[in-house]
Amino acid sequence: MRKKVICVITAVLILLSCAGCGKQEEAADRSFFALDTYITMQAVGPDAEQALETAEESIRELERKWSVTSPGSEIYTVNQSGGNPTSISEDTAEILRFVLDMAQDTDGALDPTIYPVLTAWGFTTDSYQVPSQEELDTLLSYVDYQSIQLTGGTVTVPVECQIDLGSVAKGYIGDLVADSLRKCGITSALINLGGNVQAVGAKADGSPWRIGVRDPMANGNLGVLEITDQAVVTSGGYERYFTDADGNVYWHILDPQTGYPARNGLISVTVVSPEGKRSDALSTALFVMGMERAIEYWCAHGNFEMLLVTENGTVLLTGGLENAFTLDEEQNGREVTVIHHEAE
Amino acid sequence: MKQSKLWVVLCAAILLLGVAGCLWVLRPTGGDTVEILQDGKLLYTLDLSRSEDQVIEIPYTGSSNIIQVQDGKIRVLEAECPDQICVHMGYLSDTGLPIVCLPNRLVIQYQQAGTDGATG
Repeated sequence: MRKKVICVITAVLILLSCAGCGKQEEAADRSFFALDTYITMQAVGPDAEQALETAEESIRELERKWSVTSPGSEIYTVNQSGGNPTSISEDTAEILRFVLDMAQDTDGALDPTIYPVLTAWGFTTDSYQVPSQEELDTLLSYVDYQSIQLTGGTVTVPVECQIDLGSVAKGYIGDLVADSLRKCGITSALINLGGNVQAVGAKADGSPWRIGVRDPMANGNLGVLEITDQAVVTSGGYERYFTDADGNVYWHILDPQTGYPARNGLISVTVVSPEGKRSDALSTALFVMGMERAIEYWCAHGNFEMLLVTENGTVLLTGGLENAFTLDEEQNGREVTVIHHEAE
Repeated sequence: MKQSKLWVVLCAAILLLGVAGCLWVLRPTGGDTVEILQDGKLLYTLDLSRSEDQVIEIPYTGSSNIIQVQDGKIRVLEAECPDQICVHMGYLSDTGLPIVCLPNRLVIQYQQAGTDGATG
């Protein structure tokens, strides 16, 4: 009888132990709509679930502060200030300082005051149209990041001028989220703010995160980038665009010099750097600059890596990505050129 | 004697059930399975390797998306939103970004993607 009892207990124990088969170490994931995009987050570490919940709350709070369209946001208030000095929070002053520095650094290829021109094209309202040259000339006369005065916690934006943090906000928020997760003791996380990817450490098994890079010319992927503790952001003209009656395509990345969609030889720019805000700002700025100026900028600064796709389909990679990037099998035959610093 | 046989059979049955349970918990999830979610709620799970060609209309507060499944691929065929970003995304790629229609809170994604994330 004793044997029988042991036999049953053993069998039951095996059965019960299987209830825990699917569980591993504490891992959490979360997805939601915010910042005008679809956000997914995954993390492994102590209290990962709670850490991601807190991250979502802070993303929503920053969205409320930085939205350009929500009455009540700090940016909205600044844009409606009629040229008067406006007090802003420390968070907002910091991101504004960063975007103004990047505008300066990229010689205005990135300009946070382009917003009224973007609106004239309908990219902010989804009622697309080609504005008249006269309208563009008038609006362009207000586009000038140098006219923004930021002193401590006070910003002054001239009448008719409007600021928008859209070109850096997602990357900047990615950095803040990554920092807060690290502070919680999380050593492995991936935050994807609609294609704006931020990695904390490597995957839980120690291998690098594998990030697909979209083929800007067709469906599917160009290849895969392997990254650890880096942020990857891509700017391209292939998603948010419209076509006029003559078949001309107009995309949403505008050249602050002309007020027209930037057409300087590139169709996609992917930037990899340790900082999401830098990757985000540079992906737009380098797209506007075009291939030659982008390469010059990289040579002069070098604190990031990039993957460019030119209008004729050539892929240009900077040296640091040579081993991190693998071309998709279906992309065999595509020309890939690796750019190195002159000293190398 | 008879009773002890019964015990052995019972133990074997419980053991088998346990092993089967383990295998079920650890079963590989299909690499061709896609999920269609709206507002975070799972509406459809489709195994693209087995699904017949079909068109699914998904309404959302007076608007809708028409989703097409064809030759083992899935895309948004038509959308009533003005920006058409979900249509421009074309067929879903298992190494790319999910197809997202923001205005209609719609997400189409692989249950198990070929990459950890995507940029583009």
